[in-house]
Amino acid sequence: MKKSLHISDKIKSFLIEIGELSFFANRFFKEAFVKPFEFKELLRQCYYMGNRSLLLVGVTGFILGLVFTLQSRPTLIEFGAESWMPSMVSISIIREIGPVVIALICAGRIGSGIGAELGSMRVTEQIDAMEVSGTNPFKYLVVTRIMAATLMLPLLIIFGDTIALFGSAVVEYLKGEVSFQLYFNKVFNALEFSDLIPAIIKSVFFGFAIGLVGCFKGYNCKKGTVGVGEASNSAVVYTSMLLFIIDFIAVFISDIFFEI
Amino acid sequence: MKKSNTQKINLGLFVIISTLILVSALYFIGNRQNLFGKTFRIHVVFNNVIGLQLGNNVRYSGINVGTVKKITMINDTTICVDMLIEDKILKHLKKNAVATIGSDGLVGSMIINITPNKGTSKQLIDGDTISSYSRISTDDMLTTLNNTNENAAILTADLLKITTAINRGEGTLGLLINDTEMASDFKQTILHLKTASSGASKTIDELNKIIASIKYDKSVAAVLLSDSIYADKMKSVITNLEKSSIEIDTVLTNINEVVLGIQKGKGSLNYMINDTILIKDIDDIVKNIKEGSIRLNEDLEALKHNIFFRGYFKKLEKQKKERKK
Repeated sequence: MKKSLHISDKIKSFLIEIGELSFFANRFFKEAFVKPFEFKELLRQCYYMGNRSLLLVGVTGFILGLVFTLQSRPTLIEFGAESWMPSMVSISIIREIGPVVIALICAGRIGSGIGAELGSMRVTEQIDAMEVSGTNPFKYLVVTRIMAATLMLPLLIIFGDTIALFGSAVVEYLKGEVSFQLYFNKVFNALEFSDLIPAIIKSVFFGFAIGLVGCFKGYNCKKGTVGVGEASNSAVVYTSMLLFIIDFIAVFISDIFFEI
Repeated sequence: MKKSNTQKINLGLFVIISTLILVSALYFIGNRQNLFGKTFRIHVVFNNVIGLQLGNNVRYSGINVGTVKKITMINDTTICVDMLIEDKILKHLKKNAVATIGSDGLVGSMIINITPNKGTSKQLIDGDTISSYSRISTDDMLTTLNNTNENAAILTADLLKITTAINRGEGTLGLLINDTEMASDFKQTILHLKTASSGASKTIDELNKIIASIKYDKSVAAVLLSDSIYADKMKSVITNLEKSSIEIDTVLTNINEVVLGIQKGKGSLNYMINDTILIKDIDDIVKNIKEGSIRLNEDLEALKHNIFFRGYFKKLEKQKKERKK
């Protein structure tokens, strides 16, 4: 009896959280397009989310392309389809692996950062202080961060994809003696708009999800230092799960519109 | 403040670089699909497009020159494919070019191959339709291969029967392979053949020697074939022969006419030839003359012994004797 009550409580709290998240998103849309706009804070957030993540995304992307090519090479050589490597790697990275992996990394870095930052602000009552001083904390803290994440993530993914392809090209150049020109020529021969455009649209939603969940968890943080840790941790966990759900939906929709 | 400006510059650089990468990627992909630059449209009609899709490449003599823009089903057996071709290729494309649907590699996507045809033809213009050639599809190939396999199975079964029969020694081949006596006979035959062929070879050598020993230059044939004077003489002889033959022909014609005249005419000759009674009469006359000459001889013999003519005959005998002396 106790166990069933426990499960129902969990479901209930989960549904409540989804509802709260929906209200939170609704509030974001209401506040985002109403003056005053916090451009300076938006640019600052863009810098912290975009530029500060470049190294991480670049290194991850390079290793991703490198490892993916190294792992795929033996199988393709076995089938005598070595020349298909640029096509296969580029389509895989641009369509799926690049956006998802980079979004997961950003969820870890940006999502947890937002959760921790806003959580600590909530715990230290800085948000309350802002409300008292007449500043709209939601507009200043939440809207700017969600917008920055939404804007920066597609750019980070484009950057990461490019570095990943470069990493793959390096392996092909060193191991397969394929020139960079031939490699990228094959890449652009294989790629279609139906590969690139859905990935970019998907990455916008990824960015929005990272910003939204991070802000939601941090903004609604419970009191105490434990609450900050929980906010940061759950921001990453929920964002990661949400990213896969968005990816699943995006693949379905792009399948309908672009006939993959 | 300074730090803030650096942040803005860095952010601006990141945004610009990322946007440039996106734009260039879109440009390269779009350029490959001929979305930018001048293009012209040509059509080709197929019975079966074998999985051809919008955006598939179009190759002219192996070079990517365009993409498939539109595929329209005209009726149940006709499909019209519109292609966008780069404008710079237009001058090389002729109206007699032929389009086929092929595969880009063994497992690659479908492509349209345009190949130039032999002979001269006018240059293609925007909106033209070129002819197509439907290549054999993989399904057809597999069907043919299936038939070939079935035939191969029948053939191998038959071959098995034949080899079994041969092994058993049945038939001529089986006998040839299994019969040891026949093998020895065959050996001997070959030996005889060898001997015969060596003999023939010797004979041919001898014959060659004989032919070589003949002095060809001094033979009649050589003179006839190589001497120009004799050739002229031969020519004149042949000409004379021709003339003579014409004259003989004329003479024969005349004789024929005479003979016909004799046969048909009423002259003495015709009477002598055709009248059988005359021959009988002549025969009787000759008989009478023979009898008359016999009787005359008898009369002359009687005159020799007559008293009045005896002296004359004696005188003649004396004169004969004197001549002999």
